[in-house]
Amino acid sequence: MRKRAEDPRKPLSLPVIHILLALAEGARHGYAIKQDVEERTGGAIRLGPGTLYEAIQRLLDGGLIEEGAADDEPANGQVAQRRYYALTARGWDVLREELRRLGAILDHARANPRLRKGLV
Amino acid sequence: MRTVYALLLLLFPSGFRRKYRAELFTAFDDEMTDPRHAGASGRLRLWRYLARDLVASAARQRWSAAVSAARRLSGRGEPELPRQQRRRFMETLAQDTRYAFRQFVRRPGFAAVAVVSLALAIGGNSLIFGLLDGFVFHPFPYPQPDRFISVGVTSPKMSPETTYIEALSPAEYADVKRGTSFTHLGAFDLGNRNISGGDVPERVFTALLLDDLFPVVGMRPVLGRGFSKEELAPNGPPAAIISHRLWQSRFGEDPAILSRSIRIGGQAASIVGVMPAGLVLIGTDLWIPWGGDQAQMPRNARPFTIIGRLAPAATLASANAELSTIAAQVQQSHILEFKEYEGWRLTATPWAAALLQDMRLAAYVLLGAVGFVLLIACANLTNLILARSTTRHRELAVRLALGAARWRIARQLLTESMLMAFAGAAAGLAIAYIGLRFSDALIPAQFARLDLKAGLNMRVLGWSALLAACTGLLVAVLPALQATRTDPHESLKSDGRTGQDKAGSRVRQTLIVAEIALSVVLLLGAGLLMRSFVNLQRADLGFSPNGLLTMRLTLPQQKYGSGEAIVAFFEELSRRVQNIPGVTATSMVSQFPPLGFFSSQIEVDGMQASGSMLPTANTTIASREYFKTLQLSIVKGRAFGVEDTPEAPRRVIVNQAFVFRYLSSRDPLSTRMRMVGRGGPGQWTEIVGVVSDARNNGAGMPVRPEVFIPMEQGRDVWNQLFLIVRSDRDGTALVPSIRAAVASIDPEQPVYAIQTMEEAVALSSFQQRISAMLLGIFATLALVLAAVGIYGVMSYSVSARTQEIGVRMAIGAEQTHVLRLVLMQVMKLAAVGLVVGVGLLLVAGKALSQLLFGVKPADPLTIFGVTLTLGAVALLAAWAPAWRASRVDPIVALRYE
Repeated sequence: MRKRAEDPRKPLSLPVIHILLALAEGARHGYAIKQDVEERTGGAIRLGPGTLYEAIQRLLDGGLIEEGAADDEPANGQVAQRRYYALTARGWDVLREELRRLGAILDHARANPRLRKGLV
Repeated sequence: MRTVYALLLLLFPSGFRRKYRAELFTAFDDEMTDPRHAGASGRLRLWRYLARDLVASAARQRWSAAVSAARRLSGRGEPELPRQQRRRFMETLAQDTRYAFRQFVRRPGFAAVAVVSLALAIGGNSLIFGLLDGFVFHPFPYPQPDRFISVGVTSPKMSPETTYIEALSPAEYADVKRGTSFTHLGAFDLGNRNISGGDVPERVFTALLLDDLFPVVGMRPVLGRGFSKEELAPNGPPAAIISHRLWQSRFGEDPAILSRSIRIGGQAASIVGVMPAGLVLIGTDLWIPWGGDQAQMPRNARPFTIIGRLAPAATLASANAELSTIAAQVQQSHILEFKEYEGWRLTATPWAAALLQDMRLAAYVLLGAVGFVLLIACANLTNLILARSTTRHRELAVRLALGAARWRIARQLLTESMLMAFAGAAAGLAIAYIGLRFSDALIPAQFARLDLKAGLNMRVLGWSALLAACTGLLVAVLPALQATRTDPHESLKSDGRTGQDKAGSRVRQTLIVAEIALSVVLLLGAGLLMRSFVNLQRADLGFSPNGLLTMRLTLPQQKYGSGEAIVAFFEELSRRVQNIPGVTATSMVSQFPPLGFFSSQIEVDGMQASGSMLPTANTTIASREYFKTLQLSIVKGRAFGVEDTPEAPRRVIVNQAFVFRYLSSRDPLSTRMRMVGRGGPGQWTEIVGVVSDARNNGAGMPVRPEVFIPMEQGRDVWNQLFLIVRSDRDGTALVPSIRAAVASIDPEQPVYAIQTMEEAVALSSFQQRISAMLLGIFATLALVLAAVGIYGVMSYSVSARTQEIGVRMAIGAEQTHVLRLVLMQVMKLAAVGLVVGVGLLLVAGKALSQLLFGVKPADPLTIFGVTLTLGAVALLAAWAPAWRASRVDPIVALRYE
């Protein structure tokens, strides 16, 4: 994600936003991120294996997330060999900035009476 | 499975792969156990999804890896901005493209040959894909067509085939409705209705509905609404929904149509809705409520077609599992009463597949065949580029020596081939566009009713772009490999004069052999289909179709009731038509060869049904003159006569196939038989005659047993008969006088489905005819391309061997020797290609044999013909180069040194 480092005005892609949102709830391993995202979007966003790990790798490169220890170590020993990911301070900033930007769009849309119906 | 996945993972950079290997495999196992991906179609969906996911993300990953690598290498303190990066990429691309253009302009002949052959090949592919997309793959405009399904029935007791149209009874429909696999289900019966309340009475194909079908098809009416509960209830208020085209043709798109009414069979009904354009349920133009009481229908009266929308949580596999449970329950509860439930099955199939089943095989054969043409064009182009790159050797070597990166040169070659491929595809799309514009002409009337449209849509454009990209890549691989293996030192030392390199010539010869082999497959396929078609044309139909004209009349029951009035009408009509000058025979019949749709189960007195299937026979109502009109001969007993009145004992005539199949050694004239209908067995009937066989199940198929019932005794059932007229002049010229004869009896009576018997016969072999025609075109195209390829390779080989030939002639070889030398080389290639091609066809023969009639895939005559054709074309293509070789002047050739 070095791209982002150079051009913070560029919007994030939808899978990336969802990955960051999942991690904002706590450290997760890759598969948990996938499940989390699918559950939250009701299956509308499906992260294929390639998309998921490719995005993770780019977020790592960009310094938005880091590999780290889990908040709570799972009892299942098998899962323990998985890598956990957490947001970095920079990741939090970028996510907040992105959500502010999306919020602004939504506010703008709400101001239009013809669009208001259906938007809460 | 995991191996395939592992192969896909090779797309990623190795570092990425090592790091995430375990996780990627865990994710894969998880997807495999997902219930959504169970079953064959689920697996297919999963692979499509995985392939798309992995290819896209691998491309992104490689791009960013390449970007950071480039940045590391460039060692510049300032990392390059992505925008600059992109600009540099575009600049290189533009530079390569300009260079490629210059190359083409410098050798316009080469570029023209390349682009034209690719245009023909890609255009052919786009055209065929467009046709298949419009008629077979995506024929209907319904949203989510894969989830729009039809419920089919297989009753092994009745027939091994699965039927979808008019297959279930209301009671069985209620059974299907118990399941949870469908959000919406609908049932309809099909029929024809006379409509009036305008200028001309008209007869339209009608669906009689048990439910509102709009939610099932997933579309909304353009005007008005679907049927309400009250309208669908037994004896509800009469209402009708009309098709878009009926709205256009009969009502001039009247926006106030909903306030109008329509007369259906003499009864007024209010129009409550108009279907959207393109919604053509099996070509119906009118929807009306079925209107009967379902509870009154016996369990084995099965006039309904069931369609449904899969529930979001259901898959085709889960729906089928549920349907088989339901079928098993039904079988258990009702088998004692209804024998046909033994082993019966219910199946859910996507609507398009259920409707167009037998067209799919031919579709894939055609797509494969036209794919071969593209492969041949690719092989040709590769050969041309290879031959040319030998002369460009020095240019490339110089560039390498000056420090050009090898990948940079490969990229240049790739740009050139991509440019040619996309230019070819663009020209090809023009060809496809023109072809698709005229495709309507290929469609027989029966299919035209479905209102299917083939055109250039996004899928066709996408397919063409994909083919162009694959072509560009495929064509560039070998030349790029060769170019990057060039050793600048060696290449610059040699002056390109000494002979051809061994490996290169072997590659070129292999390509030629492949081209010939593919052409042979196409030629053989076309030859076999052509022979099948000819066999079908020559097949003895058992009757003479010349001079026969057929048309259909349906007498409204409200007007004629049943019984004598109908018979009286048809007899009076026969009499009047008989008096038209030129008419030699006239008769009425419920169905006629080469096809027959109406059949029933039969029982022969004193015979146990053998095997598990109840015997069936076509049952046909025929007037007295029918056998005479078709010129069928009475083999035994007598034809129908005036004595076969409604009051007389029931009598039938059977065909020879019936005697052979069901009566074996017994005397038919002393045997009784009866039909077993919905309401149980009918009366015992005397067989009074045996008539000669006529093909009644398609020209290419064995004759089915058939029972003929005299019109006077069958009148309770049939108010709808065909008028068949034999005349000694052009049949269609009689149509006005016949219409007048009908109008003189009843001016409101429409006559429809007018067709000469020859047209009916041609229609029954429509698939063979069109397959043979298209495959013939492809084969010709393939042969021309292969000939161009042979010519190119031999010209190159001769010019490269000029010196060698010069030496040979200097030491005494004669012109004919040289000629033979070159031609023998071609013949050897052709022989190898022929053997490989015949082998390939025999392997693929199984798929083809279903389309063949009266000829086997290993047909010696066809193989012989193809050998001759191929030999002649190969000789012709090689003649000019061989001639040039034999004219080599040894003095000139040697001085050239």
